[in-house]
Amino acid sequence: MVALALRSLRKRAGAFTASFLSMFLGSAIIMAFASMYDTAEASGATGQTRSTLVTMAMVVGGWGLLLVVFAVTSTLTLSVRQRAAEMALLKSVGATPAQLTRMIVGEAAVLAVLAALLGAVPGALGGRGLLGLLHGTHQVPGDVPYAFGAFALGTGVGVTFASAAIAALITARRAARVRVTESLMAAAADPGRLGRRRAVFAGVFLFLAVDEAVVTMTMMRGKGTDAMAASGQADILAAIGLALLAPVIVRRATALLGGPVRAFGVAGDLAVTNLRRRTGAMASAVTPIILFTGIAVGTLFLQATENAATDRSGVAATADQKGVETLNLVVIGMVVLFAAIMLVNTLVAATAHRRREFGQARLAGATPAQVLGTVALESAVLTVVGAACGTVASVFTIIPFAVARKGSAVPDGSAWIYVGVVALAAVLTGATALGAARRAVRTPAVDAVTA
Amino acid sequence: MFGHKARPGGAAPSSEALRLEDVRKVYGAEDNRVVALDGVSLSLPAGSFTAVMGPSGSGKSTLLQCAAGLDKPTGGRVLVDGAELSGDGEAALTKFRRERIGFVFQQFNLLPTLTVLQNVTLPLKLAGRRVDKDRAREILGRVGLGDRLGHLPAELSGGQQQRVAIARALVTEPRILFGDEPTGALDSRSARDVLGLLQEAVRVYGRTMVMVTHDPVAAAHADAVLYLADGRIVGHQSAPTAEAVAERMTRLADEVERQRTSGRAQAGV
Repeated sequence: MVALALRSLRKRAGAFTASFLSMFLGSAIIMAFASMYDTAEASGATGQTRSTLVTMAMVVGGWGLLLVVFAVTSTLTLSVRQRAAEMALLKSVGATPAQLTRMIVGEAAVLAVLAALLGAVPGALGGRGLLGLLHGTHQVPGDVPYAFGAFALGTGVGVTFASAAIAALITARRAARVRVTESLMAAAADPGRLGRRRAVFAGVFLFLAVDEAVVTMTMMRGKGTDAMAASGQADILAAIGLALLAPVIVRRATALLGGPVRAFGVAGDLAVTNLRRRTGAMASAVTPIILFTGIAVGTLFLQATENAATDRSGVAATADQKGVETLNLVVIGMVVLFAAIMLVNTLVAATAHRRREFGQARLAGATPAQVLGTVALESAVLTVVGAACGTVASVFTIIPFAVARKGSAVPDGSAWIYVGVVALAAVLTGATALGAARRAVRTPAVDAVTA
Repeated sequence: MFGHKARPGGAAPSSEALRLEDVRKVYGAEDNRVVALDGVSLSLPAGSFTAVMGPSGSGKSTLLQCAAGLDKPTGGRVLVDGAELSGDGEAALTKFRRERIGFVFQQFNLLPTLTVLQNVTLPLKLAGRRVDKDRAREILGRVGLGDRLGHLPAELSGGQQQRVAIARALVTEPRILFGDEPTGALDSRSARDVLGLLQEAVRVYGRTMVMVTHDPVAAAHADAVLYLADGRIVGHQSAPTAEAVAERMTRLADEVERQRTSGRAQAGV
């Protein structure tokens, strides 16, 4: 089975690109930050300098870990789901669930080790850049030299390997449990019902988000910068909660937006039908948009409010405050990167999956332009829904922090920040979906329906 | 049922529904060429029902795809209802097909997210034509699915799905209908129903039908059978019976096999 894993990696490198990319970037980011610890150790720095470096390594490293596990799980799950037919075939020729699990975990493990080792190069470069940033803002004295050592390498490889293995195990368990006939029929109907467990989890996350918001507004009131720590995660919790509710939200939104979308003629008609009947797939495409908008908008306005409050107080920002700002911006960068990978991966996989459906529409008389028009309208609805939910999630962070920091519910920050984030989400969604669909309609229709 | 009866008063329609002139189709690159169609010429009159048969690899499906504008021939001309099938790009070909051609496939190819009625009206919507739902309902009633309008394809049996596909192919009133093994995925009873509907479309309503099949029983529903081997038309049979078709196919398969072996022996393989 391990031989089979290696073979499938070699023969179908394309299918693993997204998983590899998220592991590679993830390990690079983790190593870049972990090398701050190596730097602190090697230079024998003490006091404020040491604490700045170690905080960088630990806090952002922890964040990175969460994101890497999330991104790797989502990309691996998709790559396995896309191969449902192959799994069914292997089962029908006598592969046991344990053998399938070994194959999937084997693939992931090989990928993880390769990705982490290659990631050391950009990791070291990124770490050097990060230290330069700290030098430049005088958070770390300029004479502290950069070091990339065992801690960075060990953490990078270890975390990437462990998260890939865990993600692969979760995925494999799910894939191995599906019965042969089921997996061949799975594509037929996908109403995207909200399971009870999913609903319960959504409730828990939203409750925690509300809880953090309330804590920020009451206990953290007037505590200044410290309120950030409490309010900073509320948007993430709310975004995850809303993402879990995505099937319901997409269904409601389709009912609401159906009229205007139908005004676009037959492409609109088809888009509405697809949104209604394929709610599950559409909901999984909305998830990264919600996370992206929610966390980016939340954190950017959080920082803007903080900066404005500092300016008003008339005192120059302390090294700690600058450090927090750098952290926040780095977190945004990571979120953007990973959400983008997830978004692109989800959309590309979902669209490639629809090659047959597109072929059927073309055989019924749809021109390629009509197919692409349908996809464009679907993407527009998904962007609107995702951005709206993300905005709601970001409010869980922004308003409580504004209340705590300056006693007013109105946050600081330019509206253009918001416009920019939403525009980026829209461009990413539209460009990816259309690009993938364009590739899908390049296959002759007759071949597309038999493939 | 499938639209207006063959033109009244015998006013002759363009009598030729499909014409192929020296159509060639070659796949593959220089050193690995496969000649799927080797200069096929034929003419099918309007209102005829023709079955195309041949051993596997004989080029049946390629012939159908080239004739139906789903694939571009490497050489030669294809004329549907007197109009030459030539266009740049898929959009042009799609528009050409919408006007003149209907399809029925082995795997039905209904859109899984659309209901029965939506599937049938889809070609009209895509072509920007007026959607006459009553007519679509009427056609569906005639294929025996008047009570299934709101069902999804996955909720229907194979035979029912194929009847929806036939209704969908006929709703645009095409001059010519192509079937690629339309009964290939059906049990014999459903297959008979489907063939009956196709015959009715030809006999009563003057459509022209071309059907690729490997089933002699299905071929016997046609007025004539064309035999294809190695990309060439090698025989024609009028008023076929299942027995005669089966016998001819057996002989054809033997011949092809013999030729291939002797060819290989000569080549010293």
